[in-house]
Amino acid sequence: MKIPQEWLEEFEAAARRPLEQRMRYAFIRTYKPVLDDAPFRSFNTMEEYRQWCEANLPDWLGYGRI
Amino acid sequence: MAAFEYRQAQEIRDVFNRHACRYLFIGKSGAILLGFPDTTQDADLFVERSTENGRAAVAALRELGFALTDIQAGEIEQGKDFVQLKNGPFDLDLIFAPDGIERFSDAWSRRVEVEGFPVCSLDDIIASKIASHRQKDLESLPRLEAFREYRRRNA
Repeated sequence: MKIPQEWLEEFEAAARRPLEQRMRYAFIRTYKPVLDDAPFRSFNTMEEYRQWCEANLPDWLGYGRI
Repeated sequence: MAAFEYRQAQEIRDVFNRHACRYLFIGKSGAILLGFPDTTQDADLFVERSTENGRAAVAALRELGFALTDIQAGEIEQGKDFVQLKNGPFDLDLIFAPDGIERFSDAWSRRVEVEGFPVCSLDDIIASKIASHRQKDLESLPRLEAFREYRRRNA
């Protein structure tokens, strides 16, 4: 498998960073409509969750199945 | 709410350990712990489904500051397949039956420990993303697979 050079450089750069720094770079916070609007949700099955996402979330969030 | 922080991951690790709750970091948050450079929003935990472990998870979550009603706690103890928590100090998804992974015990046996964080193997993280068939997961797959190859070469 050929790893694109740009990705390889990113992997190598990440490997040089301590975990705390990697996490600081990785975790971001943006508002996700609908998804972020309830304090608690639970689903009996993953299929139920997937269907809920497809029925309720905007397509552009990417939670729909292909 | 602010972005999830290293300190909060440490709190999860320490508090879940104290309550003897068995779990694994999974999803992109797990991959990030393994060194994958990418962005994500919240942490995903694959929690072993058993009544005892569910009770331990609830006790740990309450200690972390999640405001769980008794009904919500019961749903976690019961081990519903997917629980989304946004009622605590950070957002957290609990997954009791991730797509693409048959049993928790299998994933546990393949886990990777990173600074004491129990993390699903990259093979399991990739398998769950493939099985989800979600657009956002499939889009991230080529880079995740390249990262797996990178790790293999550097093992």
